[in-house]
Amino acid sequence: MDIGSIGIYICLFLALYFEVFLLISFLEKRPDARSTKRPSRYPSVSILVPCFNEERTVASTINSLLALDYPKKKLEIVVIDDGSTDGTRAIAESFTKNPRVKYFYKKNGGKYTALNFGIAHSTGDIIGCLDADSFAAPDALLEMVKRFESDPTIMACTPVMKVYKPRTMLELMQAVEYTFGIFYKKMFDNLSALNVLPGPFSMYRRAVFDQIGIFHHAHNTEDMEIAFRMQSYGLKIANAHTAFVYTTVPKTIRALIKQRTRWSQGFLQNSRDYYYMYLNPRFGHFGMLVLPIGLTAFFAGIYTAGYSLYHLLSFLITRALDLFTTHIPLHLPVVQHFNWLYVNVNTLTFLIFFMIGMTFIAVLLGSRISETRLTVKSYISYFLFFGLIAPLWLVQAAWGALLARESSWR
Amino acid sequence: MSWKKYILTFAITATIFGTAFYVASQIDAQRVADIRTTEDNISIDILSTETQFELLGNLDCQEISDNPVLSEELNSLAGRLSVAESNLGDNNTEVIALKKQYSLLEIKDYLLMKQISTKCHLKPVYILYFYSNAGDCPDCSRAGEVLTYLRQQYPDLRVYSFDYNLDLSALKTLTSLSAIKDELPAFIINGRQPVYGFKTLDEMQTLIPELKTLATSTSAVK
Repeated sequence: MDIGSIGIYICLFLALYFEVFLLISFLEKRPDARSTKRPSRYPSVSILVPCFNEERTVASTINSLLALDYPKKKLEIVVIDDGSTDGTRAIAESFTKNPRVKYFYKKNGGKYTALNFGIAHSTGDIIGCLDADSFAAPDALLEMVKRFESDPTIMACTPVMKVYKPRTMLELMQAVEYTFGIFYKKMFDNLSALNVLPGPFSMYRRAVFDQIGIFHHAHNTEDMEIAFRMQSYGLKIANAHTAFVYTTVPKTIRALIKQRTRWSQGFLQNSRDYYYMYLNPRFGHFGMLVLPIGLTAFFAGIYTAGYSLYHLLSFLITRALDLFTTHIPLHLPVVQHFNWLYVNVNTLTFLIFFMIGMTFIAVLLGSRISETRLTVKSYISYFLFFGLIAPLWLVQAAWGALLARESSWR
Repeated sequence: MSWKKYILTFAITATIFGTAFYVASQIDAQRVADIRTTEDNISIDILSTETQFELLGNLDCQEISDNPVLSEELNSLAGRLSVAESNLGDNNTEVIALKKQYSLLEIKDYLLMKQISTKCHLKPVYILYFYSNAGDCPDCSRAGEVLTYLRQQYPDLRVYSFDYNLDLSALKTLTSLSAIKDELPAFIINGRQPVYGFKTLDEMQTLIPELKTLATSTSAVK
């Protein structure tokens, strides 16, 4: 066994460890089924919609909020236009006839400034965010409020994020990835170790901002930093697996890599800022499992991709050189006396298959939790392409973090 | 914070790893057992052909040439051995033992083939190929590919490949009788003087004009 493959065994061990840990958590506490019960009281809710040049989607986003099943007097929608230069302003302003919608235009300063502006100009006891590229299901707010009601110590809550109408292979790939995310976020909830409060429809009790302050720039990942900060203060974050929100995902590989580079680089840079939480039992499973595994997965992804690429390239180059120097014409290998016993499988093959199987189970559980139906084409897209594309953003993010370069939004 | 789950997870993950190692080692053991059985069968077949030949003398060459000696089975065995070798490593004692037995069978087959050919006036085309996989023969894998391709093209071509570094007295005798120097790869084609160094497909075809007398494979891609 060469040193390179020992590294692969270590990566596989850690990945399996993580998946087994989550599956045990699932068996310990399975997610409750959806109930038709209504909350006993309706707290006032402000939903902030930060937007910057979102003329294509902002109307649907606001409409989805207006269609929410929630007492009208208890819900305000605060649209914060972060200096859009397209038609966003005209579209958003047309909604202000509705007394529940407030619209503010401010000079462009970044998403976190828009959110902070919204917090200052809103009145709700619960503050939610909804990116202007996402749409909430009509009962999503009720389900979120029910989750808050289930445990008074919950200070923030994330919904289930699904991909909005995935069609292309790239969108279908992301649909499976999001479904996998639904599973592990629910398990992180079981472990009180949620590590991000994503832009689409995450909600906070107002007291959170009074206690720990408002959003920071946080390397363009304010939604991750605030979760890290809440964990550092011991504030509980939960996941409402029955509250669905639909988000549009990048449609090109280039846009996807850009988005994920921002997320991944943000993770690295926030990890540096909160380094003291790593492997610190004081921060529970967040410090002992989620952060270390996240960072390990980051570098394991780069290592595995580099190792596989090296072997693939050396194989192809050797084959090409062999054909060139031996003058053997290009031909298919001839299999004589086929025997299953000699199909070249070894320990690594079994472990990789096991790993794929565990991931498949996690995605299936995620789709059960979120009532998502995934097609065979989605699974094929995910298992074929994700491993090829993900290393690109991991490398770019590591490079950006190394040079302390600012990641970009678009 | 409870550590129980961390320990339990470690135990389960380690069990999964252990199971994967165990299953793979069981398959390797089955491969070794299968190769040993095949070698035993070939050994019996060679002995049977030898005995048959001795009983018949050269009276019934038809009978013998209708049941050619076992190069086909030996070739399939070579592929199986290389799978076992890549999984268990070329230093594995079982692999070395199987390789030694394989080399002995090749030598036996080669000698028998020569005997039969002389007495029955057959003209087989054969190559004795000496290689090394000890890292001192960068051209050996390419030379092996040329021979594999030729074998696919001409199923009646007999290729006897020997690991030059194998510690086997019969093989040492063969190399010294054939006057093979340690300049690998080395080839002896139809009993002629040894040829050293890598040869391309075209060069190899030129070195073996007898190939024209052999039937080509219909399945091969030209």
